[in-house]
Amino acid sequence: MKRTIMTKLMIGLFCTLLSLPAIAQEDELKDLPGYVDFGDLSSLYGEPKIIINLGGTMLSFVSMMSSSESPETADMISKLKGVRVQIYSTDENSDAAKAQFNEVKDNLKTDGWEPIVLINEDDEQVLIYMKMENGLMEGMTVMVVDDEEAVFINVIGQLNPAELGRVMNSLDVDVDLDLP
Amino acid sequence: MNTYDDKWEDRINALLDGELSDMDADALKSEATDDRELARAIIEAYQLQRAMDAIHVERAPASLRKRLNKIPREQRAESGFRLFQPRWAMALAVIPLAIIAVNLMQPDTPSADEIAEARQQLAIAFAYLDKAGTITGREIESTVGHTMADALSGSVNRTIKFTNEHSKEKEV
Repeated sequence: MKRTIMTKLMIGLFCTLLSLPAIAQEDELKDLPGYVDFGDLSSLYGEPKIIINLGGTMLSFVSMMSSSESPETADMISKLKGVRVQIYSTDENSDAAKAQFNEVKDNLKTDGWEPIVLINEDDEQVLIYMKMENGLMEGMTVMVVDDEEAVFINVIGQLNPAELGRVMNSLDVDVDLDLP
Repeated sequence: MNTYDDKWEDRINALLDGELSDMDADALKSEATDDRELARAIIEAYQLQRAMDAIHVERAPASLRKRLNKIPREQRAESGFRLFQPRWAMALAVIPLAIIAVNLMQPDTPSADEIAEARQQLAIAFAYLDKAGTITGREIESTVGHTMADALSGSVNRTIKFTNEHSKEKEV
């Protein structure tokens, strides 16, 4: 009987150990001050057409692999702790996305994020906020909602937008986005 | 580790320990970008190092150690559940090994293909950031004019540049 209980305990311990890394990975970004919870719009718009979740470990590998081609790119990526993107097709019905936009905006203000750019047009809403702590950039949030799509981007860590174009060229990946 | 890994072992260990010169480190990374097996060996070594770093041996609370020390040796020998019996000692010894094995088995150990995919995802994220920047720049320009738009974007970039420099000074 005692052996059965101990066997069950050992199996339970082993199962717990198995699940720990997955839980830790999920929580890795949530605990960072630059993390933003965008909520979930999939019940209204279906699954996001683009979803990106890059954590610190993967970014460090990308940085390492980029170092020989472009030390500047590697240096920039090494300062990132996480990159998250959710893009939904709004299909001419952006009301729910705009409501989510405003809810996240209110949360950002409450959490001490600083507005950089805020555009509030009838057909388009754009927001760029930055999170600073002790004089250091902890994160950047960009949200764009129009009649075609709702874009939610959260960069955790330090990023200089002025370097984006150069870094995109050095990544040598063909990305062509239609501007409205 | 196979013979291929043995060939690189010393240099990979030196790279992870920060003992390679900048020139040698760059040379090794450069070779890794062309050689998937080498890249995989570096990644696996890095993951193993992280797994080893993550293992902590927790000390028992002082109160528990005191109580254990107070138990007479005869009583310990008679107790029903003997923690330090060889089979339990072996079971406990297996736990750190299980943690390492679990870490190595996790799908988050990225392959060369996964890193290439992450690189592409990062480029897409940057492209959308760039797109948002273009939209905001255009809106500001149409509202307050070209000169003011440049001044605003310059101000933002200066703030971020100052942040980066401040960060570098702190690191030094």
